[in-house]
Amino acid sequence: MKKKYAAAVLLSALLMLNSCAANNSDNSNANVTDDIKNSGSVFAMDTYMTITAYGQNGKKGIEAAQKEITRLEKLWSVTDENSEIYSIDHSGGSEVPISAETEELLNFAIDMHRQTKGALDITLYPVLRAWGFTTGKYRVPDDSEISALLECKGVERISVVNGNASVPENTEIDLGAVAKGCAGDAAAKALKEQGVTSALLDLGGNIQTIGDAKPDGTKWKVGIRDPFGEGSIGTLTVGECAVITSGGYERFFEQDGVIYKHILDPETGRPADSGLASVTVIGSEGRLCDALSTSLYVMGLDDACAYWRNSEDLEMILISDEGGVYVTEGIAEDFSPNVENVTVIER
Amino acid sequence: MKARTVCIIITLVILCTAAVWCGYVMRPKSGKTAVISQNGKVLYRIDLSSEKDRTIEVTYEGRKNTIEINGGRIHMKCADCPDHICVDTGWLEDGKPIVCLPNRLVIEYENGDIDGTAR
Repeated sequence: MKKKYAAAVLLSALLMLNSCAANNSDNSNANVTDDIKNSGSVFAMDTYMTITAYGQNGKKGIEAAQKEITRLEKLWSVTDENSEIYSIDHSGGSEVPISAETEELLNFAIDMHRQTKGALDITLYPVLRAWGFTTGKYRVPDDSEISALLECKGVERISVVNGNASVPENTEIDLGAVAKGCAGDAAAKALKEQGVTSALLDLGGNIQTIGDAKPDGTKWKVGIRDPFGEGSIGTLTVGECAVITSGGYERFFEQDGVIYKHILDPETGRPADSGLASVTVIGSEGRLCDALSTSLYVMGLDDACAYWRNSEDLEMILISDEGGVYVTEGIAEDFSPNVENVTVIER
Repeated sequence: MKARTVCIIITLVILCTAAVWCGYVMRPKSGKTAVISQNGKVLYRIDLSSEKDRTIEVTYEGRKNTIEINGGRIHMKCADCPDHICVDTGWLEDGKPIVCLPNRLVIEYENGDIDGTAR
C-alpha cells in the first residue's frame, strides 16, 4: 500500500516537473527569436525620439531608422543653414533644386492646405517667430505687426516645379506640422526593410507602430495625454498605425493673465481659439495624421467631425476646452477612458 | 521504510518546487524605476520606491543639470540650459519624460503599463 502511494506521488511529481520543463524550454525559445527588445533614441527635429523594436533584427532596424530620421532632419530643418528648406526660404525668390522627398512633402502640404480649406498653412513661420514660439522669447505682437506678416504668407506662393522650389522674398516655409509624421513613415519603412515586424516609434509624442501586435500577441497600448493635467485621459488599443496628438498645452505662455497657445490660426495669425484642447488623429499614414491633428485643432469640433465624415480610414479623439471627450465610432470600442463624459461621434 | 524515505524526499522536492514557483510568480513588480540617460547612454537606473532622498549632478559640455529625488519622486531641480523646459516639466509622470534637449539629458520611467503616450 505504501509503495503504491509512493509510486503515485513519484509519478505525479515527475509529470509536474516534466510539464514545467517543457514550458520553460518553449519560453526560452521564444525569448531567443521574438522577445528580444531593443531600444534606441534620437535627438532630432527639436524633440526627443525613442524607438523600441522587438525581434532579432531590432538593433540594425533601429540604427537604420535613426540614420533616416537624422538624414531627413538635415533636409527639412528650418534653422539649419544647409537644409533644403532653409535654402528655399533664403534664396531671395530664386529657384532652388530640391530632392524628390522634399518635393513630395511640399506637394503633400500644399494639397493638405486645399483639403483643409487653409487650416494647414506651412508659410506661417514668420508669424510664429513674431510670437516667439520658435525661440522661447515669447511676446504678443500688435495688430499691425501681425497683419503685415500675414501679407507675406500664402501657400499659393510656393512654386514646386520639376525638382525646383521657390518662394517670394519674405515668405518662409516651415514643415513643422508634417515633418515629424513623415519622418515617422520613413523610419517605419527603414525598420521594415531590416526585417522588423514589431516596433513602436515615439517621435516626441507622435506614436507610430509597426505590426498589429507585440511578440506576446497583445496589441499596442497607447495613452492619450490629458490636456488639462497629469497622466492620460484614456488608453487606446491599436494595431499598426499612427496616433498623433496636437494640443495647445504643448507650448504656451501667459501674459497679463491671458494664455497664448502655440497653434496659430492661419487666418488671424493669432492662437487658434476653436474650443478644442487637443486633437488626436489615428490613421495609417504618419504625415497625414500629423497634418490633420494640427489643422483639425484649428477647425474646431464641428468642422473636424464634418471632415471625418467625408474621409475614410481615419479616426479621431477630440477633447474640448470644457473637458468633453469625443471619439469616432470606428475606435470607440478600442478606447478605454479614465474620464466619464465621453461622446461617440457617428457617421 | 524505504518507501517512506522516498515519499518524504518527493514531498520535499514538490514543496521546494512550489516555493520557488511561488516566489517567481509573486516577485515584486519593478514598478517605478526611473532611468536617467544622456545622449542615449544610461547613466542611472533608480528604483524610486526604495531610493532615499538625494540629488544627482550630471554635466554635459561644461553645463550642469541637478536632479532631485524626494519622497519617491524625481525631477530636474536646476539646469544650466537656456530654456529650462526640463525644470518646468516638474515631477516625472508616466508617459511624459523629462527632457533637457540642450544637454541631451532624459529622465523617464522604465517599463510603464502602456507602450507610449500620444501627446
